[in-house]
Amino acid sequence: MAKIAAADLERIRDAKAQEASFQDRIYCMICGGTGCHATGSIGVKEALEKEIVEKQLSEKVKIVETGCNGFCAMGPILVVQPEGIFYQKLSVEDIPELVESHLIGRKPVERLLYKDPVSKKRIEKQDDIPFFAHQKPIALRNKGLIDPEQIDDYIAKDGYFGAAKALFELTPQQIVEEVKTSGMRGRGGAGFPTGLKWQFCQASPGEIKYVLCNADEGDPGAFMDRSILEADPHAVMEGMIIAARAIDAHQGYIYARTEYPLAIRRLGIAIEQAKEYGLLGTDILGSGFDFDIEIYQGAGAFVCGEETALMRSIEGKRGMPRPRPPFPAHKGLWEKPSVLNNVETLANIGQIIRKGGKWYAGMGTETSKGTKVFALSGDVNNIGLVEVPMGTSLRKLIFDIGGGIPKKKKFKAVQLGGPSGGCVPEEHLDTPVDYEAIAKVGAIMGSGGVIIMDEDTCMVDMARFFMDFIQDESCGKCTPCREGTRRLLQILEKISEGRGEPGDIETMEALSEVIKESALCGLGQTGPNPVLSTLRYFRDEYEAHIYEKRCPAKRCVALLEFRIDPDICTSCGACFRACPAEAIAWKKKEPARIDKEKCIKCLTCFEKCKFGAIF
Amino acid sequence: MPKLIIDDISVAVPEGTKVIEAAEQVGIHIPRFCYHPALGSVGACRVCAVKFLQGPFKGVQMSCMIEAADGMVVSTTDPEAVDFRRHVIEWLMINHPHDCPVCDEGGHCLLQDMTVSGGHGMRRYQGKKRTYLDQDLGPLVQHEMNRCIQCYRCSRFYQEYAGYRDLGVMGIASRVYYGRFGPGTLKSPFSGNLIDICPTGVYTDRPSRYKGRRWDYERTPSVCIHCCLGCRITVNVRYREVVRIEARYSPTVNGHFICDRGRYGFFYASSDRRPRKARSGGAETRPKNARDEAAHRLEEITARHGSGSVAVVGGSRSTLETLAAERRICRQLGWQGPSLFTGTEESAAARRAAGHLTTDLAVSLEALKNADLILVAGADPINEAPMAALAIRQAARNGAHIEVIDPRPVTLPLEYVHRPAGTDKISEILRGLGKPSTEDASGDIQDLAARLDQSRRPVVVCGAGKIASERTVEQAARLARNLRRAGKKAGLFFVMTGANTFAACRMAGDPADLETLLLMIEDGKVRALVVVEADPMSEYPDLARLVDALAKLDLMVVLDCIDTETARAAHVFFPTQTFFETGGTLINNEARIQQARPAFAGGTPISQTGGGSHPPRVFRDDIPGTEALSAGQLLMDIVSALSGGISRSVEEFDGVAPEFSGFDPVEATGERGTWAKLPLRTAAGPDSPQMGGETPIKKGELLLVESVYGTEALSRSSPWLQELESEPALTLHPEDASRWGLQHGDRCELSTEAGALTVPVHTSRSTAPGTLVLPRHRRLRWQVFQHFRSGLDTVRIRKTGGEGA
Repeated sequence: MAKIAAADLERIRDAKAQEASFQDRIYCMICGGTGCHATGSIGVKEALEKEIVEKQLSEKVKIVETGCNGFCAMGPILVVQPEGIFYQKLSVEDIPELVESHLIGRKPVERLLYKDPVSKKRIEKQDDIPFFAHQKPIALRNKGLIDPEQIDDYIAKDGYFGAAKALFELTPQQIVEEVKTSGMRGRGGAGFPTGLKWQFCQASPGEIKYVLCNADEGDPGAFMDRSILEADPHAVMEGMIIAARAIDAHQGYIYARTEYPLAIRRLGIAIEQAKEYGLLGTDILGSGFDFDIEIYQGAGAFVCGEETALMRSIEGKRGMPRPRPPFPAHKGLWEKPSVLNNVETLANIGQIIRKGGKWYAGMGTETSKGTKVFALSGDVNNIGLVEVPMGTSLRKLIFDIGGGIPKKKKFKAVQLGGPSGGCVPEEHLDTPVDYEAIAKVGAIMGSGGVIIMDEDTCMVDMARFFMDFIQDESCGKCTPCREGTRRLLQILEKISEGRGEPGDIETMEALSEVIKESALCGLGQTGPNPVLSTLRYFRDEYEAHIYEKRCPAKRCVALLEFRIDPDICTSCGACFRACPAEAIAWKKKEPARIDKEKCIKCLTCFEKCKFGAIF
Repeated sequence: MPKLIIDDISVAVPEGTKVIEAAEQVGIHIPRFCYHPALGSVGACRVCAVKFLQGPFKGVQMSCMIEAADGMVVSTTDPEAVDFRRHVIEWLMINHPHDCPVCDEGGHCLLQDMTVSGGHGMRRYQGKKRTYLDQDLGPLVQHEMNRCIQCYRCSRFYQEYAGYRDLGVMGIASRVYYGRFGPGTLKSPFSGNLIDICPTGVYTDRPSRYKGRRWDYERTPSVCIHCCLGCRITVNVRYREVVRIEARYSPTVNGHFICDRGRYGFFYASSDRRPRKARSGGAETRPKNARDEAAHRLEEITARHGSGSVAVVGGSRSTLETLAAERRICRQLGWQGPSLFTGTEESAAARRAAGHLTTDLAVSLEALKNADLILVAGADPINEAPMAALAIRQAARNGAHIEVIDPRPVTLPLEYVHRPAGTDKISEILRGLGKPSTEDASGDIQDLAARLDQSRRPVVVCGAGKIASERTVEQAARLARNLRRAGKKAGLFFVMTGANTFAACRMAGDPADLETLLLMIEDGKVRALVVVEADPMSEYPDLARLVDALAKLDLMVVLDCIDTETARAAHVFFPTQTFFETGGTLINNEARIQQARPAFAGGTPISQTGGGSHPPRVFRDDIPGTEALSAGQLLMDIVSALSGGISRSVEEFDGVAPEFSGFDPVEATGERGTWAKLPLRTAAGPDSPQMGGETPIKKGELLLVESVYGTEALSRSSPWLQELESEPALTLHPEDASRWGLQHGDRCELSTEAGALTVPVHTSRSTAPGTLVLPRHRRLRWQVFQHFRSGLDTVRIRKTGGEGA
């Protein structure tokens, strides 16, 4: 490959379009995201390749390994284009039938199609599936549609046209104006206006500046950035080129955690290909502008997602935050003015520049424009990655797109914004996805992790889990975060072990207030949020733990005491056979009994009993 | 100058001052753990919270992070801030042991003070405390991690301030651990500062462990005498024993820190090998008898051979008072000397340096930190004056360019450019740089010349003694002066050989050096020697010649506080008091006059007199071991016993040297001893023979150099520092090594007509080709080489060990 000029972008795009339209080809888009890799998509892909060779379909059928499709719960996923037929949960054994029936006979295999949990009907086309139908992909627009390891695929989808426009048609000021017009706010969680951030850095004096991409996604249950990098790495790089042009930077770093090997590998390939095309390096597209990107792998410390800690980490120092000001726009990486944006933010930039800020601002709410990517996980049917316009209600997100709660359980709460966020109960489910509206109900937009919890979730236990995460991921620099969060965890552990005392709630509240006030960085300042937000909506559960020594959700093992209701017990003996501690006495035709002394509260009998006799 | 109000007190402070510092200026000590004036702010501990009532910041904020600004109204006593600090201290105390009454640090623990003053008196936490395994950090520093409050001071000092990497932080969250990354002893020669800087007892002083508590000690401000810098120290004495040295803050000399040589070199003062009795002919005798004998024999000799047949030999570890006494005696009695230097070249170089040091050029260590370019010529700071290396590092951290021109493999804990040039080339390079127009500079140094041209505050750091020649000193001074003329705030910083070398330069008589004096002994002109606090037998590079010469003497009187070879060879020996007992005046390399008070009255430590038990079993009405007097006093006593001798008090300086007329050290140093008032003027004198030009080195030369541990006269007896000594080795360029078939790690024998010694071979590419470097180490009989810089034509090198040997 040789270096290309701006005009070549159109040539490549048009050639790709022709290739697709002239040749009557079938494209098998097999998902190659981490989720589908885990469920076996590599084997499926190999089986498919083998079958196609055997059936001599190589000319006609083309297999493309795409990035994450988004519907991770259904992996391995195959979408047959151009019709967009969606196959789910494929196994190697399904492949001969699929090839025979669909690729040769042009008849989709009914049993492998998506089945709507409500109507129980099979749905053929991806776009008709509710999970996809309610989405509006911009950052994720190329997911499942291109091969992330082929730069031409990205260019074919109008890729790098935004960068070309920024380089040839717009001045740095105009770029910043365009981004400001778009109303784009930082998708990493804080929601700081991106245009403003760029403007500060642009105005900051200095010959050397840096553009940084924060791909150190660390929230439990969040995988937006990973999926974007796996599915469309060029989009992020295009955003960085545009940012570099806006602030006049010539070096960029993508800080990604080592735990994302696939994302890092694809990014590496993308950077290589972009360099060969001259989209990175010196004199990009003949514009005279130089910019290069390097990947920096972090060791996976949560705190390195904090901007000042991230920069110290790139510098080779301990990833510890430092107080702001000075802000990175003035003194960032190596004390030079720097712009740090989240992966998702950058993935939108190319489109914003190509289509204009006004186009982007046309979506969303008054203060939150555009779309937002969410990672649905927890007790929800459609675990996966979705992108919805700002203003979509949480209810729509969880029930229409997410498909509701499995096993007919009741919804209890949704945790937004990861450990630093908060939980939102049923009564606030109509809150729109909007930075301010979500903050009002005590959570934060965050980076987009959405953890749905059903009625079996103990909120004290949930707070304990997140507190454990936070105290474990504290960098250890400032006292409130290092010692205070640990203290909170210890009190929560005490409560969930049945040793809670009157006054514990008040102590936690007082502690939380001081930690919020006194911690050095965002991690510590938002550290007490899991406690505060659960106390806000589920104080009664705490009280039940402390005063009644009872866990309403039956999660806190220490507080459980198992009994068998003799009226319900059918004397089937399942519990007796399953008990590892020989704590259950059982004779035929007599209700079983649990010996409290021997019971180790392992929950095995509770889960084995089909009749709900054990409580 | 922003003006602000702190606790109703109005204060104006310089731009950029943090609120915590501003408060200190009006006497309000805001609690702090992570903040340290030398290390700056990091905002980690959160205990310096104060409430901002008015101004650009509002509410509770960290006073170490916020710069004072106009209109600020700050309250340190606001209930909200007090409550905030109480919480932080409570958190820190969660895991801290509650053993203050028996803890080593108790009584001088910042955490203890803050806990009490912060109002955290009741413990609410009921759980277990976090515990750690400690590390063995070596003989100097004791590690006790359970006490740690994670303030990061140690790692910031060790890595950022001092530039060593072997100790730091590991782990995150509540698993944070401070220690060495691998097993072994701390590598930094500044490690003792960890003890001073730790706000609690994680790092404590190991040699003084269990010897007492802070309040048991007699604590006296003093000055370090282990190199030329004169760092300020605090001496801790208990039961007549010097047990511990701490750094004492000095805004101009050493700042907050000192080096480990200075901190742990004091062992000689309380050693059980310290001579406590006068000796005559090797046998102990009463002081009066010894004095009478010395006086009698001196009188006899002068009667027979004239007053010029007696000479005084001294050294640069004596106080100004002692040196003045030596000089006055020599002048008044017509004796030779005092000879205060070992070699002729050394004496010439040092005296030329002292002559060039004018008030406008002399820079303090503090000023060295502010330089923007430092040129180190013929000096090896880490080994010769360790704290200078620390100051140079601070300059480098502030962006200064550091360049070293030296034949030795100089290592500094910072980034620098090293030009390994032979001793004969250093002055040439300096001369090239010193020309008014940099265009004349040869291509090789164009780059450095250009940098010098662009610099605003350049400092030339130059050796002045055994390695750097008089010519190098001259060129360094000319370069500094030329830079000054070019409008720069240029400075000159000489690294001298001893604590009081500057004073020795002014007090030295004729002959000024032992080398010249030896000629006079050899031809029988000098018949008696009075050696005052000097040890020629382990300092003079040609031992065989020295021994022969000393054998010709009719009398050798030695006055010293340590047991030396020279002392053992004396006909009459007098024990003297150490600097800790006498106090006195020192003039450091910057010509700064500093005064120390006596730290204690002297005497044999109770630990020795009691035979291990206390109180001692034998009771007496005097203090044992107090025969010793100050060297100056002793000298005057001996002389006043001479008929027609002089009897003036030691402290009088009139008539000793012109600039000392009417000199009063107490007045000169002021209450805090902050600056020398000694008038400095150019008194370089005419060019001496060496100044004509450097003799080019033909076959190469062997340099006998100083190393941080093991060479300095007093500290080399410290058992703790002896543990840290690395085996003295011959260092040379690998290409030179191959000339003798040597490789790194081999052993080789170095021999001259006078003897031989065997040492390991180290090769280093930063050694100048043609130069062999060997430390004047206590473990080596290096006095076979005859000169500090000896030509290789007199030295034979033979491989004795290693591959193929």
